[in-house]
Amino acid sequence: MGTLDYIWLGILAVFQGPEFVSLAGISISVTLAMIFFGFLLGVAVGATPGLAGPIAMAISLPILISIFGFTPDALLPVLGFLIGIMKGATIGGAVPAILFNTPGTPDAFMTTLDGHPMARRGLGGKALRVAHFSSVTGDTFSDIVLIICAPFLALLVEGYLDLPEKAALLILSMSFIAAAVGGSLAKGLISTGLGLLAAYVGTGQDFYPRLSIGNEALSEGFPLASTVLGVLIVGAVLHELALYWRRRDDGTAGTVMETEANQRLSLREIGRLMPYIGRSAVVGTMIGALPGIGSTLAATIGYTVGKRRYQKVRKDDALDFGEGVPEGVAATEAANSSVSGANLIPVLSLGIPGNAAAVFLILAAESIGGFTPGPSVFKFTTDQVNPELVIAFGLFTCMFLANLMNWTIGGVFMRAMAVMTRIPKQVLLPVVLLLTLTAIYVQETAMAAVWFTLGFGVLGYLMRVLAISPLPFVIAFILGGRLEDTSRQAFAATGGDPWFLVSSPVSIAFMALTAIVVVAAIRRGRTD
Amino acid sequence: MAMTQNRWIGLVVCVLALVLLFVWIPLDVETGIVEKIRRQVEIGDALGPTVAGVFLLFGGVILAFVERPPSEPKPVDGQAIRFALLIVVYLGVCFLVMLVTGPAAVWVASQATGSDLEYRLLRDTVPWKYLGFLTGGTLAILGVISLAERRVSLKALIVAVAAVIAMIAIYDLPFDDLLLPPNGDF
Amino acid sequence: MPSIWKTLIAGAAMLATATGAMAADWTPPGPIKLLIAFRAGGGADTQARLIAETLEDKLGWKFIPEQATGKGGLTMAAALKKAPADGTVVGMAVTETFGYNMAAAPNAGMKPSDFAGITTTAGFQMGVVSASSKGWKSIDDMIAAAKGGEPIRFGVMSPRLADIAYLLGKAQGVDFNIVSVQGGRAVLDGVNAGDLDVGFMAGIQRAGVAAGDLVNLASALSVPLEQTPDAPTLATLGVEFDSDGQFLFVGPAGMPQDAIDTMAKAIAETISDAESKPGGLIKKAFGGPVIIQGAELDAQLEAGFQSSEALLKAASE
Repeated sequence: MGTLDYIWLGILAVFQGPEFVSLAGISISVTLAMIFFGFLLGVAVGATPGLAGPIAMAISLPILISIFGFTPDALLPVLGFLIGIMKGATIGGAVPAILFNTPGTPDAFMTTLDGHPMARRGLGGKALRVAHFSSVTGDTFSDIVLIICAPFLALLVEGYLDLPEKAALLILSMSFIAAAVGGSLAKGLISTGLGLLAAYVGTGQDFYPRLSIGNEALSEGFPLASTVLGVLIVGAVLHELALYWRRRDDGTAGTVMETEANQRLSLREIGRLMPYIGRSAVVGTMIGALPGIGSTLAATIGYTVGKRRYQKVRKDDALDFGEGVPEGVAATEAANSSVSGANLIPVLSLGIPGNAAAVFLILAAESIGGFTPGPSVFKFTTDQVNPELVIAFGLFTCMFLANLMNWTIGGVFMRAMAVMTRIPKQVLLPVVLLLTLTAIYVQETAMAAVWFTLGFGVLGYLMRVLAISPLPFVIAFILGGRLEDTSRQAFAATGGDPWFLVSSPVSIAFMALTAIVVVAAIRRGRTD
Repeated sequence: MAMTQNRWIGLVVCVLALVLLFVWIPLDVETGIVEKIRRQVEIGDALGPTVAGVFLLFGGVILAFVERPPSEPKPVDGQAIRFALLIVVYLGVCFLVMLVTGPAAVWVASQATGSDLEYRLLRDTVPWKYLGFLTGGTLAILGVISLAERRVSLKALIVAVAAVIAMIAIYDLPFDDLLLPPNGDF
Repeated sequence: MPSIWKTLIAGAAMLATATGAMAADWTPPGPIKLLIAFRAGGGADTQARLIAETLEDKLGWKFIPEQATGKGGLTMAAALKKAPADGTVVGMAVTETFGYNMAAAPNAGMKPSDFAGITTTAGFQMGVVSASSKGWKSIDDMIAAAKGGEPIRFGVMSPRLADIAYLLGKAQGVDFNIVSVQGGRAVLDGVNAGDLDVGFMAGIQRAGVAAGDLVNLASALSVPLEQTPDAPTLATLGVEFDSDGQFLFVGPAGMPQDAIDTMAKAIAETISDAESKPGGLIKKAFGGPVIIQGAELDAQLEAGFQSSEALLKAASE
């Protein structure tokens, strides 16, 4: 079993699974069909203001698990569907930003700056084409980097890191996320602390469920789905609803304006856009590889970098960034889309999720079982097949198939989804709320899970109101158990050495980096 | 020292962290920060929560006394918060309605027929299993739309009923082992 | 009363009873909730779900599986203890839950007599396993390495196994660094990655041992391992406790005897048939069915509880 054999097995796993339908003698595997359906759903939810990829991923997960069951065979169809959503939502997000000046997701805000003015000048179709092309180019680039980097990083981690170093690396990642997300170290730390606290209620090694204050429901700990969906989805929906309720009157009606005859992108135009797309793809990929820094920052930096270059080369009479130039749309969309592939680098090599989409991929893998994202996946065993590695290459195959769909039919679907922007938010969001709660109930089968979800929804809402990012909370909740277990194991394995976190050069380096990250963030907070 | 919004948050978090570290953890965790078992020192169950508390305390102190963010967050909109909380409370009530509708219907039915029915045993039987979810779910969607739009409309009712039926079709009809709310609680 | 109600109720009552008509002595009055004490997706969970599925097909009963994980099965046991004892709620766990774990958590207030054993399904081929790359051919090599001053990281997946590892070290005059991890899969990963030197594995080592990547150094059972019959048992290594245990189906105490008997018989038939899905899985993953039922099972659970108190005492010295 060489590396190439594994890659080939991964590809086969996608194409050769159970047959979904046979078209003209060509058998379409279930996984392939699921990627396609996920992709369609992704474009649709991305184009719907108020919805985003993670919501669709969250709601589909229990349905998918019921369809495919808890067997390793379920992994590729389910993860393929989720990857389809992820990819589809990336291009869908630009639709409302360009046509209606309402960013569907925060990272599409920069897209409105040039995309909407273009639409107002009658170039809506062209703006969408630019967004589509840049987005897909950035995404594909990012995926290639992922596939090259993740296995090597994983092998390094597995080869050189012992239990104490793994514990130190988790601490470094969490501190980095706390410091990097949302711009305030203090709020990042608070969010992380709350996430850890939630992770530690009812769990632990002792038979007594700690911090459960004698409550039976608490003694089983907070269900993963309740906590993550409560804070991320219910919190966001409540926020949207409250915003709608407050400024119901100033509705911004948009119009699709395609008055110019030629909405197509010529090769020359693409050539002109490529320098912007290239720069932004590199920026987005680098940012994506670091856990916790989201696509919003990537979009901002990509836009800024693009603007700087544009001002050097533009002719005096040409429009500037912000006045509706395709370069602005390209710079933003390439940057925020190239985050998504690279974001899976820490997931697959370290088991650390960096954004909400990655959180749901991990959630899916954990619910189904048989695939634990992390360094142990990339074990190239030669005498027997490592099934997790086959799944990993299957995932890469899914990503490229989704990209292929993006390239070929994505543009058409994206422009067709403009209708989604007409669905009124105040009707859609309540349905999404009940759908989320039902999805959680179906998975957990206890009302306690619904109460917890509503509680975490309030927490997620208040965090948004107080400008505390909920992402560190979610990541800390997911990693909290692992941080404790790894520390406990490292401590026991070293025979109870209290200095296990600084017992080797590598772990000292990780802890020193942690200190630097925190101190730098404090200094930034003081001087800003 | 002006009481800005961030400073308030920081102080509240500090108090929470101190309660966690000095009251909740000592009272409600069985093992200490380290434990000696089988002649080996091990990390106890209190260490994890203590780390969480330290994160909170650090965050609170930095927010209250150290950090000067470029701009204060937007002032809190009390009315919006009350609206969001109202939605949550209302949803809670709807799920309670879900819980009691089925058993209440079964009780009425057994009173009327004199037969001895029990909802628990009927929780996977049509039509009983849908009663709670239909009632509570419709009320939930209808109510939240109406609260947001500040009026009750027939359109909202139609959307609500259609959405609930669609959810039954998605989650219940194709699957044998899935239980809609509230049937897992019986 | 409107006749539609009568029709509905009559229909409901028929649905609830009619499907069981072909079953033997006992029919459940409604759907059966199956509480599974293992995380979804693992071998144990799959086993429980496959057995439920097969019984549904065979008897026309209706099972609704539900995860109740955590605290070594005590979470499941606590839920089961409170459940109605009419055969409509049963659980699946390991015998260790009702022995060591209940003995070690007296505050939880549960003992084997709160439950009615239905049947065991399969045992574990629990071995003390190391990676062959460590170079140890036998347990003696490992003990020699430990005596030579090499720190030995011993992976365990439950407190009971931690106690047994500790007693093994004590009997051989060495100290292990006992590392608790979550589940047998994590022991396997740890040993493979070199994070652990040796660990208990309950059957998951089969393929690795067959391929020569792993070595069964000792049997942690009272009998030799099927795959490596030459590996010594714990008893011959001076440990008077073993890690014998089985998966089992269990109900709350007071469950009707005919319900227990009917279920026990049906499960035993299914898992003994290697052609059936659960039978095949048990053959492949756990080396074949182990069926203990009735009074014998209840007595075994009680004995496990008693001997665990002795183990707890021995390990605290």
